[in-house]
Amino acid sequence: MTAAKLVINEIKGYHRFIQLMIALTGVGALAALARFIFGLGVTTNLNDTYPWGLWISFDVVTSVPLAAGAFTIGVVAHVFHIKKLEPLVRPAIITGFLGYSLVCIGLLLDLGQPQRGINVLLYWNVHSPMFEVSMCIMAYTTVLTLEFLHPVAERFGWHLPLRLLRTLEIPFAILAAMISTLHQSTLGTFFLIAVDKLHNLWYNPLLPLQFWLSSIFTGLSIVIFEASLVHKYMGQPDESDLLATLTKIIPWVMGVYIAVKAYALAFLSHGPLFDRPVLLALFLVEMVIGVFVPFCMYLTNRIRTDKKLQLRAASFVLFGLVLNRFNVSMFGMEQAGQQIYVPSVIESLVTMGIISAHILFFVLIAKYFPIFEHHPEATDYTIPDHFRKLEKGSEGLKAAHEA
Amino acid sequence: MSGGHIDFNKTKSFLIDTTKCTGCRGCQVACKQWNQLKAEKTVFFSGEGYQNPPAMSEYTFTRIKFRDYQKHGQNEFAFYKEMCMHCNEPACASVCPVGAFKKTAEGPVVYDEKRCIGCRFCMVACPFGIPKYEWSKAFPLVRKCTGCYSRVKEGLQPACATACPTAITYGNRADMLQEAERRIKSRPDRYFQAIYGKEEAGGTSVLYLTHQPLDELGFKQVTKRPLPSYTWQALRLVPGIFLGVGGTLSAITWFQHRKERIRREEEFKNSRVKPEQKEEDQ
Amino acid sequence: MTNHWIDLKNSDAIFIIGCNPAENHPISFKWIEKAMDDGGKLIVADPRYTRSASKADIYAQLRPGTDIAFLGGMINYALQNNMIHEEYVREYTNAAFIINEKFNFQDGLFCSFDDQEKSYDLKSWAYENDAAGNPKRDMSMKDPRCVYQLLKKHYSRYDADMVCSITGTKKEDFLKVAKTFCATGRADKAGTILYAMGITQSTHGTQNVRAVAMLQMLLGNIGIAGGGVNALRGESNVQGSTDYGLLFNSLPGYLKLPEFANTDFKAYIEKYTPKTKDAKSANWWGNTPKYITSLLKAWYGDNATPENDFCYNYLPKWSSNYSYSKIIERMGKGEVEGLVCMGMNPAMGGPDSNSARGALDKLKWLVTVDLWQTETSIFWKRPGVNPKDIHTEVFMLPAASSVEKEGSISNSGRWAQWRYKAVEPVGESKSDLWIINQFFKRVQALYTKDKGVFPEPITKLAWNYGDGHEPDVHLVAKEINGYFTKDTTIVDKDKTLEFKKGDQVPMFKYLQADGSTTSGCWIYCGSYTKEGNQMARRDASDPTGLGLFPKWSWCWPLNRRIIYNRASVTPDGAPFNPKRPVIAWDALEKKWKGDVPDGPWPPMKDAKEGKYPFIMLAEGHGRLYALDMKDGPFPEHYEPMESPARNQLSKVQNNPLVKIPANISSDLVKFPLIGTTYRMTEHWQTGGMTRSLPWLVELVPDMFVEISESLAKQKGIKKGDKVKVTTERGAIEAVALVTSRLKPFNVDGKSVEQVGMPWHFGYSGLAKGDSANLLTPTVGCANTNIPEFKAFLCNIEKGGTKA
Ligand SMILES: Nc1nc2c(c(=O)[nH]1)N[C@H]1C(S)=C(S)[C@@H](COP(=O)(O)OP(=O)(O)OC[C@H]3O[C@@H](n4cnc5c(=O)[nH]c(N)nc54)[C@H](O)[C@@H]3O)O[C@H]1N2
Ligand SMILES: Nc1nc2c(c(=O)[nH]1)N[C@H]1C(S)=C(S)[C@@H](COP(=O)(O)OP(=O)(O)OC[C@H]3O[C@@H](n4cnc5c(=O)[nH]c(N)nc54)[C@H](O)[C@@H]3O)O[C@H]1N2
Ligand code: SF4
Ligand code: SF4
Ligand code: SF4
Ligand code: SF4
Ligand code: SF4
Ligand SMILES: [Mo]
Repeated sequence: MTAAKLVINEIKGYHRFIQLMIALTGVGALAALARFIFGLGVTTNLNDTYPWGLWISFDVVTSVPLAAGAFTIGVVAHVFHIKKLEPLVRPAIITGFLGYSLVCIGLLLDLGQPQRGINVLLYWNVHSPMFEVSMCIMAYTTVLTLEFLHPVAERFGWHLPLRLLRTLEIPFAILAAMISTLHQSTLGTFFLIAVDKLHNLWYNPLLPLQFWLSSIFTGLSIVIFEASLVHKYMGQPDESDLLATLTKIIPWVMGVYIAVKAYALAFLSHGPLFDRPVLLALFLVEMVIGVFVPFCMYLTNRIRTDKKLQLRAASFVLFGLVLNRFNVSMFGMEQAGQQIYVPSVIESLVTMGIISAHILFFVLIAKYFPIFEHHPEATDYTIPDHFRKLEKGSEGLKAAHEA
Repeated sequence: MSGGHIDFNKTKSFLIDTTKCTGCRGCQVACKQWNQLKAEKTVFFSGEGYQNPPAMSEYTFTRIKFRDYQKHGQNEFAFYKEMCMHCNEPACASVCPVGAFKKTAEGPVVYDEKRCIGCRFCMVACPFGIPKYEWSKAFPLVRKCTGCYSRVKEGLQPACATACPTAITYGNRADMLQEAERRIKSRPDRYFQAIYGKEEAGGTSVLYLTHQPLDELGFKQVTKRPLPSYTWQALRLVPGIFLGVGGTLSAITWFQHRKERIRREEEFKNSRVKPEQKEEDQ
Repeated sequence: MTNHWIDLKNSDAIFIIGCNPAENHPISFKWIEKAMDDGGKLIVADPRYTRSASKADIYAQLRPGTDIAFLGGMINYALQNNMIHEEYVREYTNAAFIINEKFNFQDGLFCSFDDQEKSYDLKSWAYENDAAGNPKRDMSMKDPRCVYQLLKKHYSRYDADMVCSITGTKKEDFLKVAKTFCATGRADKAGTILYAMGITQSTHGTQNVRAVAMLQMLLGNIGIAGGGVNALRGESNVQGSTDYGLLFNSLPGYLKLPEFANTDFKAYIEKYTPKTKDAKSANWWGNTPKYITSLLKAWYGDNATPENDFCYNYLPKWSSNYSYSKIIERMGKGEVEGLVCMGMNPAMGGPDSNSARGALDKLKWLVTVDLWQTETSIFWKRPGVNPKDIHTEVFMLPAASSVEKEGSISNSGRWAQWRYKAVEPVGESKSDLWIINQFFKRVQALYTKDKGVFPEPITKLAWNYGDGHEPDVHLVAKEINGYFTKDTTIVDKDKTLEFKKGDQVPMFKYLQADGSTTSGCWIYCGSYTKEGNQMARRDASDPTGLGLFPKWSWCWPLNRRIIYNRASVTPDGAPFNPKRPVIAWDALEKKWKGDVPDGPWPPMKDAKEGKYPFIMLAEGHGRLYALDMKDGPFPEHYEPMESPARNQLSKVQNNPLVKIPANISSDLVKFPLIGTTYRMTEHWQTGGMTRSLPWLVELVPDMFVEISESLAKQKGIKKGDKVKVTTERGAIEAVALVTSRLKPFNVDGKSVEQVGMPWHFGYSGLAKGDSANLLTPTVGCANTNIPEFKAFLCNIEKGGTKA
């Protein structure tokens, strides 16, 4: 039996949804191929008026904060040392790792000269937010890769690396937060150059701060979102108690965000705010559904502890974030009277492929690597030659002590 | 970014006096010829008057915009040359991750295509919408007016300025500004009292004089501050924030873990169970 | 041009009427702008609001074909308001001359009109002479029969209301133009008038030009810096072409081509050498014998001897009208066997192109010498014909373009500028000189071998331009300048000059009537001398500061940059405007300073040697009243052949000297609109040169017509719609450009709309489109035959011809 057959057989055994994801990923890959053969002009609806479209707005500007779960939860678990949240770290890292890898792919697709990507390392321009983000993304993807090696090493029983990685866990968490702070906020800095283009509803000098703050509460929300879905659809353990802890942190950040935003709107905008009704509507939707509603929800104890409502609140946040990033990077950049950009089929297929790939790889990694099983308190790292999972939580721990 | 300190008084600049522009489009064709740019396929006219092509593009670095309208019952037939403004502090150069754009000491903002990765940030950043992309190609580059750097370097004037019979004067920025001031002062009836490019985007190497109010001709209203300063005000904080975040988080870590250790030690004192095992647990 | 391009900068008022220099002579604006920077006013009178108009201080809209009314109104305005330059008018023009008693003007006709022949007896307009045979003058200009009084009377009918009712101009605009331009009637002010096809392409085109000249004379604007009557010549070297005898009835240097009856050289000289009894008149054309003899010597060399009248008999004599339209007419009747088109595109350029194209069908053979394939060279596969039905044999010879060959080009300012070859000709293309040389040599060989009825005019030609592959263009230029055919001694005042056989003649003053000199074109004598090729000079010094640049290239006559410059000074020789002196008499040194003066003589006042300034006329005075115009001594307004209005000034509707051809229709029900044709910057002429260049096609890709917003509304036409334009001659399809720059005219109380169209499109080249000349009428100016391209009647409908 050839390896290919093995793979096919394996796939045949997958759930229909996963098979769909494989198909969509495949289509996305083909679409990406088309982009390289026929060029950006033919395959996308990008043009000189819209040099940036769906790929930048979603695959980069939105994906990055959506992948912010890794660093936020890392900080919460390791830096603030809320140990009980550690089980949430690994899935978040996987999401982050996948997210950033796919951001890189998205970026490469979008570049006119992807083969020259390396030039960013050769010719530094410290004045460029893009330079900064590129460096960060490269650095951060490396960190995430190393962090991702954790379950890999565990799976294959590589001890030394594993130990090393464990020792570096905290420094990595801090480094991740440092890097993320920079590029999450710098994605906002991108648009500071668009002084006379980005609408005043979004344009203000505090945009980077807002991007950073929103990435934090989004990062935490995505952890909630993901854990809830994973529990619901993949039969993983119910972590809603742990998530409830997160829901207590989120409203703080959101509160600060709202305050910053209100301040900026009131004092730092430099032009009319209400001159473009459609943009105003988008802004209101983003703020009300995406910020105020979840903010209030998270403030309510009943909602915080309810599995379903946790998920709902998190969904609102995610929706708000996606809309915000699109507002900033696409809708708000549109000038009055300009023709409207709609992504082409190929662009949409690629983005769909990227999303599918994300889900697919996440599921596959979860399937083949110890991701959710990782409750550190329930793993015995003490024995040099082999480690094994201990029986159920702290009971297991005790058993280990006794052994 | 700009290589070293540039004396903007001495950078070569265009003074484009639209009151003297006859819309002959010699500049537009001269540019295509010098840069060997392909003609665009057009149909009828794509704008007011005889305007063509519809927009600047990878094939069109400069274009005469036509305005054809009536004001107080009088005809206005106005022409203005669109081109790269060769900003003193170019946004395109500041955002380019690989520094492919550069403000030269001679004046033109030049582009090193060997560096460009094709991210199009320059296009997003340019307040005048100048850089265009080779959408026709699988591996596109950015295209824009070169300021005819290769000519200017050799002491020639740009192709468009050479071709222009009337409207374009080319020389040191300070001189061009002085000349512009002189003109608007000496004939206030002829000139709208503003020099576009004097302060726009922090000052540019292309200066315009008009008869009609600027907005009537479709000149973009652009901030007077150099654009790079907008991003730089955030970016300059980067090292501080980076270290600040690192430091703060390290401190918190130390503090939180210390709290934990103290708690453990307390526990240990109180429980008096075997100490080695406790340590191993960490 | 009496003046030259750079001189435009010296103007206080630039009046553009009947041309559109911003679009058709872009570089001119460099100098127009300069004048405006120095406070000069720009005035534009045009049926459309053009790119030139957009730069103007004052714009006046006028109906096509009504320039005489407009200019006549200005003449009247200047006279009525005493804005003329009185001293100038009195001393330098024929204003004070008395006209014979027979002369009168009534009901739109001058005296002695022959209704049968459609002609005037020009003698009936003559001056009244005194006993000595000189014209009588009344220096007070009060005599009712003096030109000044006649003029005043004639134009008194052209008051502002009448003018505007004819031209459709807003009265306030007309008055603004008149007031501003007539203000240059002062001695210290200069006004220039620029004109071209809007003035000339009319059944009264020559009279239009005269009206321009008269206004300038009244204002004292001829001969001065910043003044002049300035025709913006068209094709790059059309000035050169006319200088070298382009017109069917002229020889190089504006010498007359003999008529059928002029079989005798002496009689020819007698007839075409004007005479005067006035010692103060230089009467330069009195030198005609020297120039015609030198020309014949240049052409027939040693074969030309005094005994054989210098081969005068070899010259062709013209017996009837050989103008372009007539040739096409004859061709259409099958009377022409073969045609050589050298740099010309008759399938496109002439009026009523359909008939020209049809005429080409009748040819046995056609040779086109061109840079491109043109509509003419592919006339046999034009739309609507079957190539099988056409039996003409077509030869296409590729020509080298101007940058692929060496030679001179004469611009509007009469500057002959030498150009070098920049690149090798593309492919097999050859210079025109090479082609003509080959033509000649082969034809001459055939005549030598086979004889023929009258071979001598060909076999006896002196044709020595070297033996190289390419004829030596310098030898041509030297022959044009002329040389001595034998050792010659010339006594010029106090100097004695010795010349050797073969020496270049330094200037036309030394040309001789005895065969001792040659000159291929006397006005160019001095362009290629012992000192070398004067046309190739590139010294940018400007000692006067007036932009004369005397050492840059060379300018005919005698490198004189502003002609009639003796009129820029008072009779004492002091410049009228000391701030811009073209020439000034230095009484101490007894010589002129500044530009090359119009003749070396001292100022007019000088009792012994002084001369009148208008040296080319026998009477030495500028002609406010013309003696030799076919259609009248004063320009009189007549309507264009196809007109939407009746003549409000008289019962004579059209120029009485122009016969109304068949395909003219004034049916205002069928054709209620005025049609006019013009050029635009982006294309050149019949389009061969530009419609094949992608960069220019990009700018103007389609044939279009311009119409007003009101006409568009009336016809339900929107910008970008396909429309069909029809006239009595044909129909074309185009895209509509609706613009406020075209407006209806208010004529005689009625509103008349106009349809404007460029005439650059055709069926050859990269960008194709219908040709406007399918619409234009074959009817021309009484004096020059130039077709009336600018004013005809048409209709416009939505939907193309194919609709
Ligand atoms: N770009 C370009 N330049 C050219 C040429 C070209 O084809 N393209 N052709 C060259 C040649 S050969 C020539 S002869 C010159 C001609 O140069 P112009 O004479 O400037 O050419 P046109 O555009 O034919 O006519 C000039 C103007 O006359 C106006 N007009 C029409 N009818 C009348 C009228 O009755 N009275 C008055 N006052 N104005 C009227 C028209 O609206 C037009 O704007 O241009 C030369 N320059
Ligand atoms: N309706 C309308 N018709 C008009 C006019 C108008 O205003 N309205 N204007 C009229 C006027 S003013 C003119 S001048 C005529 C022009 O009418 P044409 O002279 O027939 O037209 P062009 O297109 O100038 O033709 C010149 C040809 O010479 C070729 N050529 C260029 N350089 C060279 C060279 O060095 N050697 C040779 N052998 N060929 C060369 C060009 O390719 C071109 O085909 O049209 C007239 N027709
Ligand atoms: S106008 Fe735009 S492209 Fe040109 S230098 Fe300025 S920012 Fe750069
Ligand atoms: S597209 Fe090229 S020039 Fe423009 S910012 Fe990106 S790398 Fe720089
Ligand atoms: S400076 Fe050079 S590249 Fe720029 S518009 Fe002018 S001709 Fe074109
Ligand atoms: S060349 Fe000069 S006058 Fe002509 S369109 Fe260009 S800027 Fe205007
Ligand atoms: S096309 Fe040539 S001749 Fe005509 S204005 Fe331009 S430079 Fe002069
Ligand atoms: Mo012409």
